[in-house]
Amino acid sequence: MRLFVVVLFVVLGLRLFHIQIIDRSYRRAAENNVLRYEVLNPPRGEIYDRNGEFLAQSVASYDLMLVPRNLPKEGFDTVALARIAGVSVEQLKKSIQQAKNYSNSRASVVVKQMTTEAKLLFDEAGFEGFYTMFRTQRSYPRHIAGNLLGYIGQVNDNIIQKNPYYSRGDYIGFSGIESAYEDILRGEKGERISVVDVRGAIKGPYQEGMYDSPAVAGTPITTTIDAPLQQFAEELMEGKVGSIIAIEPSTGEILVMVSSPTYNPDELMGRDRGNNYMKMLENPRRPLFNRAVMSSYPPGSTFKLVNGLIGLQEGVLKASYRYPCHNGYSVGTGAKGVKVKCHDHISPLNLQQAVANSCNAYFCYVFRDIMDNPKYGGAMKGGYDNWANYVRSFGFGGKLGSDFAAEMGGFVPDKEFYDNYYPRWNSLTVISMAIGQGELGCSPLQMANLAAIIANRGYYYIPHVVKHIEGRDSLEQRFYERHYAMIDEKHYEPVIDGMWGTVHREIGTAGVAYVKGLDICGKTGTAQNPHGKDHSTFLAFAPKDNPQIAISVYVENGGFGSSVAAPIASLLIEQYINGKTEREWLVDYIKQMKIAYPNYEKRQK
Amino acid sequence: MRNARNNSDRLGWAKIDWKTILVYVALVFIGWLNIYAAVYNEASAGGFALGSRYGMQLIWIGISAVVALVILLIDDIYYHLAAYPSYVFMLLVLLATLVVGKEVNGAKSWLSFGPVAIQPAEFMKVATALALARYMSEYNFSLQRPKHLVGVGLLLLVPIGVILAQNDMGSALVYCSFLIVLYREGLNNWVYYALFLVVGLFVGSFVMSPVPLLVLLVLFFVVSQLFSNRNPRESAVWTAWVGFLSLLIYGVTELAGWDVGYYTSLLVSALIMLVPALVYAYRAKISTIYLYGGMFVCSLLFLGAVDYVFNEVLQLHQQKRILDLFGLESDLRGWGYNVNQSKIAIGSGGMWGKGFLEGTQTKYDFIPEQSTDFIFCTVGEEWGFVGSVVVLALFATLIVRLMKMGERQQEPFRRVYCYGVAGVFLFHVIINIGMTIGLMPVIGIPLPMFSYGGSSLLAFTILFFIAVRLDSQNSSIGTTYKKY
Repeated sequence: MRLFVVVLFVVLGLRLFHIQIIDRSYRRAAENNVLRYEVLNPPRGEIYDRNGEFLAQSVASYDLMLVPRNLPKEGFDTVALARIAGVSVEQLKKSIQQAKNYSNSRASVVVKQMTTEAKLLFDEAGFEGFYTMFRTQRSYPRHIAGNLLGYIGQVNDNIIQKNPYYSRGDYIGFSGIESAYEDILRGEKGERISVVDVRGAIKGPYQEGMYDSPAVAGTPITTTIDAPLQQFAEELMEGKVGSIIAIEPSTGEILVMVSSPTYNPDELMGRDRGNNYMKMLENPRRPLFNRAVMSSYPPGSTFKLVNGLIGLQEGVLKASYRYPCHNGYSVGTGAKGVKVKCHDHISPLNLQQAVANSCNAYFCYVFRDIMDNPKYGGAMKGGYDNWANYVRSFGFGGKLGSDFAAEMGGFVPDKEFYDNYYPRWNSLTVISMAIGQGELGCSPLQMANLAAIIANRGYYYIPHVVKHIEGRDSLEQRFYERHYAMIDEKHYEPVIDGMWGTVHREIGTAGVAYVKGLDICGKTGTAQNPHGKDHSTFLAFAPKDNPQIAISVYVENGGFGSSVAAPIASLLIEQYINGKTEREWLVDYIKQMKIAYPNYEKRQK
Repeated sequence: MRNARNNSDRLGWAKIDWKTILVYVALVFIGWLNIYAAVYNEASAGGFALGSRYGMQLIWIGISAVVALVILLIDDIYYHLAAYPSYVFMLLVLLATLVVGKEVNGAKSWLSFGPVAIQPAEFMKVATALALARYMSEYNFSLQRPKHLVGVGLLLLVPIGVILAQNDMGSALVYCSFLIVLYREGLNNWVYYALFLVVGLFVGSFVMSPVPLLVLLVLFFVVSQLFSNRNPRESAVWTAWVGFLSLLIYGVTELAGWDVGYYTSLLVSALIMLVPALVYAYRAKISTIYLYGGMFVCSLLFLGAVDYVFNEVLQLHQQKRILDLFGLESDLRGWGYNVNQSKIAIGSGGMWGKGFLEGTQTKYDFIPEQSTDFIFCTVGEEWGFVGSVVVLALFATLIVRLMKMGERQQEPFRRVYCYGVAGVFLFHVIINIGMTIGLMPVIGIPLPMFSYGGSSLLAFTILFFIAVRLDSQNSSIGTTYKKY
């Protein structure tokens, strides 16, 4: 019995003898300690345009990491390290102190984003306690599409708390595609377990790397963007505030998305990022604000298309109806009277002519007939709701569901909105919406989508910016579903005729947009706004049959729709379909155009 | 001490086994030093903090010393009297814990009293040891009698059941240690044979592939039978027949294109050959063959049951610990992490160790639970092989001395109790140290006197000093307890 006890203890003793004296592997894994669990960061997935050209490329960079307790007691050559890392000695010392304050035994980033050359020099010199960690940085070959692509930056504590995948020093997409497709682009971190000595020098993999896991590279994404066209659009918008969106109507793919002023995405990368970011934040024109999906503009006369279509569908309008216009539409006189002004033109006009000529009075008649349709018992009873339902079916008044997380839905007021303001109201109260003014708010994305609906004669696909994710057969199903506006296909023809007339007929408002052989159909808009000069907007698609591109251009304070927006849209359509533009004079004219923005400058202190 | 000398006659202080107490005290002292080292790190170096773990442990050592003194002052007759009541009382406390207890690491096994939390399962061991001693020292008690065997079984299985219900598998397994007492008291050797078989089959089912396991099993029974009956010729013939038959079945089925396999062939032929074996047993009147035959069939059923229990009954972390022990699956970030880091710590200690407070694994907190279940890492790393062997030797000395103590008792009550204590110590030490060096699965039980924790230290102190107390009055009374 006692022998049994002794035998058990001898077995333990022999095992101890084995692992402590004979087997050197534990000693080696430990002679002076320790396993280091090293995170392997995957390279971030790259972003291509629709033709496989790089929009955002991944480049290697290295963070200099420090575990303060591993610093040599006798000190080290801070000057040499600062020179290699490319920072000042003071800055390096400050970072080291910060690392010590954070934790003595956990790793901190001391110098961010060293180049590969610096990393090699560092490896050669070797500094106790320090090591480098691979990170992906971005480079942007064309320096375009800042707001569209978004930017990446280091996670903050808030993110780390919510999502355990991230740890200090990791990068995450903060806006645009980088943010919307973060999970796909980032890849999966791996882990390497190394045996290190007490000085922090790597002695080799632990157990031949048996427990290591490789980093899985981020998945590349092919976007729907046409990079050369995007660049051309950005050049045309330079110095102007506004937005351009172009969509391929047959798929909902976004070809161009410009929010102007834009910024060079390279500025939000690398060491100067902080300073540049602050400058952008302070810029009164707000370059970081993605106007294309986040702003809410009055659509102006482009909205007449919607009212015309609703009138046709409701049967209160026929294309042949003619309405008179004597410099506007007026009801009553004096304080109670309502007057919507219009420019000089021949009168009366039918629907096609009214669209081409953008007659305000015509659409006031149409709008009131929709509102006051006896079928619904007047605007307050059901006429307004009926109209608003139609408008929403065009994708207005709510998010379209694009792949931009920051997308905003604009504003289409409901009946209660007016009930709260007015005890009694009627179609005249809301008459300004006949011509796309008043309370209406639309994002440029929604306006471009309207162009796509008309181009498709009745439906749209949710506009989206990602065409293909590597390794996947398809996108989310919702991007393949047709969404129909509540208008029958046959009603589009007279309206499209009118849009064709805008560009091609003498009566039209945008002859400047004419390009031979392209059959551009468009609608100008000149939106009144409380911020100064009218906004210039143009909505178009081309060619008339089998449209390839639908576009919305919105230039704040640009004046008439035909003066800025229409030429820009025309140039872009020409460039896209013909692959070149022959109107150098128009390009120069647009590029040299100076628009004053007293409203923005005022905001600056 | 003056007090003690005054009472020396009646309480038998003169006969107290001071040498064993010295071993015990040495272990407590070394244990505390290691808790200090495990908690120590450079950041908080300097200054002695009473609120830290080593401070708290010092307080518990003080409390334990007082309790030990009180135990030595109580006449041993009271331990005999208190055996059953304390068992019932502790059982009620355990049940209460199940209801109002605090859950720590998934086990609902703690009772909180303000800032102090105790683990009743630790104290249940004392009560069980006393109750078992009392029951097994009853007049006419015999382990050969089924009635008494059932009684012993109930005494052990009831607390095991309650503790398992608390989801504290480690503490429940400790009750296996009472098998040592039963062995000493003459439990049938067949039980241990069966136990060995069960453990062997269990391990075998994980580390061996089916065919060699079955071959080994058949040979094991043949050899066992051979030892019992000394019939080499018959055994050899039988084995040859099984081999021949299995190959025949295998060959025929293979040729016929049926996917039967050698495992099934061997199984079938062994079962077929059981028939002539039983006929032989009947004719030659060798009854043990029935027994071995029965155990063979039971073993096969057991193998099936192991698969079922492992896959269906055990929880994921328990499965992983078992797989980890057999080296079948190693997840260095999961359950394997502790054991791996622990082995590195101990392995890196080398011959002489890294010195007190110099263990890098220890200082930098690489091992979770280091001051509790993995305290032996600190010993291994900082004191090396030499220090570890000293600690092992001290534990071995303590346990052997407790067994000797049991042997010199004149009454079964004292003997059974001393063996019970020795068994509990032995089980804890072997399992805990075995776990830190990868010989045993990770079972969360403390290393006596070393692991941080008041309940454990106090319970072991009570357990141990009652044994010393009983021993010191052994010859001085020399009568049975029956008169009370």
